[in-house]
Amino acid sequence: MKVFTVPAVDEGWDSVSEVLTQCFHFTQSAALAGEHVVYVVHNDDLLGRRGAGAAMVACGLLSAARSAALEGVKNGWRINVLAIEDNTEPGLLEAWLDVPHRTGGPTGELVHLGPSHLGKALP
Amino acid sequence: MIAVVTGSARGIGRSIENRLRADGYTVIGADLASGIDISTVEGRSKVKKLVAGQPLQVLVNNAGITRDARLVKMSNEEFGAVLEVNLGAAYQLTRELLPLMETGSIVNISSRAYLGNFGQFNYSMSKGGLVGLTRALALRLAPQVTVNAIAPGLIGTEMSEAIPDDLKNKMIASIPAGRMGEPEEVAELVSFLCSERARYLTGEVIVLGGGRSLAR
Repeated sequence: MKVFTVPAVDEGWDSVSEVLTQCFHFTQSAALAGEHVVYVVHNDDLLGRRGAGAAMVACGLLSAARSAALEGVKNGWRINVLAIEDNTEPGLLEAWLDVPHRTGGPTGELVHLGPSHLGKALP
Repeated sequence: MIAVVTGSARGIGRSIENRLRADGYTVIGADLASGIDISTVEGRSKVKKLVAGQPLQVLVNNAGITRDARLVKMSNEEFGAVLEVNLGAAYQLTRELLPLMETGSIVNISSRAYLGNFGQFNYSMSKGGLVGLTRALALRLAPQVTVNAIAPGLIGTEMSEAIPDDLKNKMIASIPAGRMGEPEEVAELVSFLCSERARYLTGEVIVLGGGRSLAR
């Protein structure tokens, strides 16, 4: 299983483009190697609360994960997204990284590790 | 009233341009066919010059391309081109035009593919990115400027004409509405989102797909 954690992104297009391109290469390599993938994004970014650059990356990754998941269904390759919050315990994230990839687990899914998405828009 | 519409030479963009003109806007169409490539600094400068310091009321980021391929076979060129045009150009043009916009509306034409689509890792990422841009700008620009996204499903345009008939018929069969959407239906929604009737509506993604997002 390979984990892509979104690095810091500023508001410049070059920064956004660089991270999205890194994600493409990362995911393509993992898919070719048959390794499941997890993206780790921040819930605030899925809702656009921390600026356009970070929002474009988080929402772009979620959409890309859904498309990649469709392609992996036939051969059992899976990709999922975990959304953390400022106070998400590292231990909780660690515990969840592997969960979606156990046999029969979900794919193309977004899991919120915290309550801050409740009552808000569905990404 | 000034409106800028990107990708306005055909398909959905042309319908949006026509509709906004009918609504009384002076529309600046930014498209390769009119010699404006918004993915370049020069192209975006041309748009700014055409607005020429007048207050801008409406920006519709519609320009988009596809370069479909399975993820494992997708080339760097296929990935990069789609990202640059669909998301990079929209973002950079928006940033450059924002100082000209005191009040009004931004509409980003995303796609139902932001929910995922086979063979469209690049396209989905770019259209999901537009959703993120929509949300961030909606928070930042409220209450002066509303920012929303439309996510069209299968629409009858030159782009959909390129789909082989057997595949297209299969796609139509999976749409509860039983047909493709018309570009004018997207334009109608843009018109509403840019109107006074929609001032309380911001930060939303409206899927316009005949119910396809629910069907198997």
